Amino acid sequence: MTSRTRSTRSMWPAHLAVWLYAAVLCIPLYFVLVSSVKDDTAIFANGFSLPGSWHWDNFSKAWDQAQLGPAMLNSLFITLGAEVGGLALAIPAAYALARSGSRLAAWAEKAFSLGFLIPGLAALVPTVLLAIELQLFQTRLFLILLFTANAQPLAVILLTQFMRGIPRELDEAAVVDGASRLRVLFHIYLPLAMPGVATVFILNFLGIWNEYLFSATLLSSDVSVRTLQVALPTLQSQTNPQYGVLLAGTLLCSVPMFALFAGLQRRMMTALTQGSLKA
Amino acid sequence: MTQTITAGSEAVAAPRPAPHRGGSRNARRADRALTIFAAPSLLFYLLFTIGPLVAVFYLAFLRWPGLLAPHSWVGLGNFRRVLDDPEFWQACRTTVVHLIATVPVLVALSFMLGYYVSLNPPGARVLRVLLFIPGLLSLAAQATVFFATFAPYGLINSVLDGIGLGSLTKPWLADPSTALPSVIAVTLWGGIGYTSILFAAHLGGIDASVYEAAQLDGAGRFRTMWQIAFPMARGYVGVITMLQFLWNLFGSAGVVLLLTKGGPESRTTTLSYLVYEKAFLGYDVGYSQAVGVLLFAVGLIGIVVIRRVFRSRY
Repeated sequence: MTSRTRSTRSMWPAHLAVWLYAAVLCIPLYFVLVSSVKDDTAIFANGFSLPGSWHWDNFSKAWDQAQLGPAMLNSLFITLGAEVGGLALAIPAAYALARSGSRLAAWAEKAFSLGFLIPGLAALVPTVLLAIELQLFQTRLFLILLFTANAQPLAVILLTQFMRGIPRELDEAAVVDGASRLRVLFHIYLPLAMPGVATVFILNFLGIWNEYLFSATLLSSDVSVRTLQVALPTLQSQTNPQYGVLLAGTLLCSVPMFALFAGLQRRMMTALTQGSLKA
Repeated sequence: MTQTITAGSEAVAAPRPAPHRGGSRNARRADRALTIFAAPSLLFYLLFTIGPLVAVFYLAFLRWPGLLAPHSWVGLGNFRRVLDDPEFWQACRTTVVHLIATVPVLVALSFMLGYYVSLNPPGARVLRVLLFIPGLLSLAAQATVFFATFAPYGLINSVLDGIGLGSLTKPWLADPSTALPSVIAVTLWGGIGYTSILFAAHLGGIDASVYEAAQLDGAGRFRTMWQIAFPMARGYVGVITMLQFLWNLFGSAGVVLLLTKGGPESRTTTLSYLVYEKAFLGYDVGYSQAVGVLLFAVGLIGIVVIRRVFRSRY
């Protein structure tokens, strides 16, 4: 009992420090929320105050100035394209690595684990040259291909581990019954690996939707192809940035991800921890 | 190149008898054919991910003034230019400061925070959600928020004015003495929360009775953290440290580009940003990629050091 009271008392500085950090996390978010409906005079006068008059037009200004509508569609197109591509390649690959036992498979798994460590951004410049070489510079297609490829290490490693957990007898029985490998994959493995697929889907969605540097250099600021993340900072590069509009734009660009989180909170948090535990 | 090697090793492997594992010979052969399923994934990965990484080491030896200009072989010329350039050495110093102020601080604080959350204190559920939020915000969104926070009339200066410390106000991102600390602060702001969730999940797997035993022996929470929880999570802390190190080493260009574009007075030009700047703004691809090769060398040394530091001691 004494140890209990003792440890509770010694927790005090920890409680304080943690909640102080929580406040530091929240303050900029609060600042975005209140500033998105203020004009700049009100923001400059007191960043913390609640809005006196509500400037809802900040949102429409941000939407129009940064052309967020097409940008959102581009983000959606690229993200979903790379999701479909990434899973279409990773699912059969994971099945192969989990079950084939060949040397090439072992080698491929090592290559993927190594690739997981090296950030793709290390090769930003040659990637741009590759896009130019393929005549796909400033196209959404190239980003879909690139993100499909960059998603492979994590997706394949995670799914391979999921599929290893599926008892071998299941597919051996099916093969004896004459089922083709593809049928075994789609009718036995895929359904059982669905939690893994969901995890990969969520991690890829977070990564691709929020990606900045590849998109910014490969798409430049061409309005017809640029993504949300490339469009948003254009609001701050004007000579005379309007902070209310800028922060309204920030809010607009963050809403889709927050909506996803609100719907899938538990799944997203599991996905995140699974993605890193397998690292 | 890599592909011919794999094809070769497969050909060597093929005639060998199947390793002694369950299943008939037929099943083993079918298993090997299954490797074909991995081919599309590997091809994409080799072309779009590994290919460009390897190309860095080729481009570093070329004179290439701009992405669309013709190029020629210069051997080690780029490296000589890089090593003679004071701008490179300043970027090295900036990178060292940036990494030291980011990686150890981030890992240590997130570990402590993660340990705290893993004990399920009051409010842990709310805390988990709060800590996760920066992970949802894109780099671009975080940058715009802090662009406004650090602006001359932004949140920080307005607070300082409000509490009578108006003399401390400054344009945080444009002042040479505060620009780099501001960039670091943005990385730490969200990074600590996000990483602590990972630690909390990992530490959550430790049996509570282990902690209880330590506390019965009179160890406080703080000592339990460093003497029980940390040694048990040592390998994982190493992995996270390595990932953070590599992300920040190679990836700091993004946050720098968004917040300061390397300025003021090149004070925030990290090596990662120098690679970006030289290639896309300075029309000097060879120089840029020579720095890229040096970054790989630094990355490799870093990995070796981090592995050594976090090697299990039991």
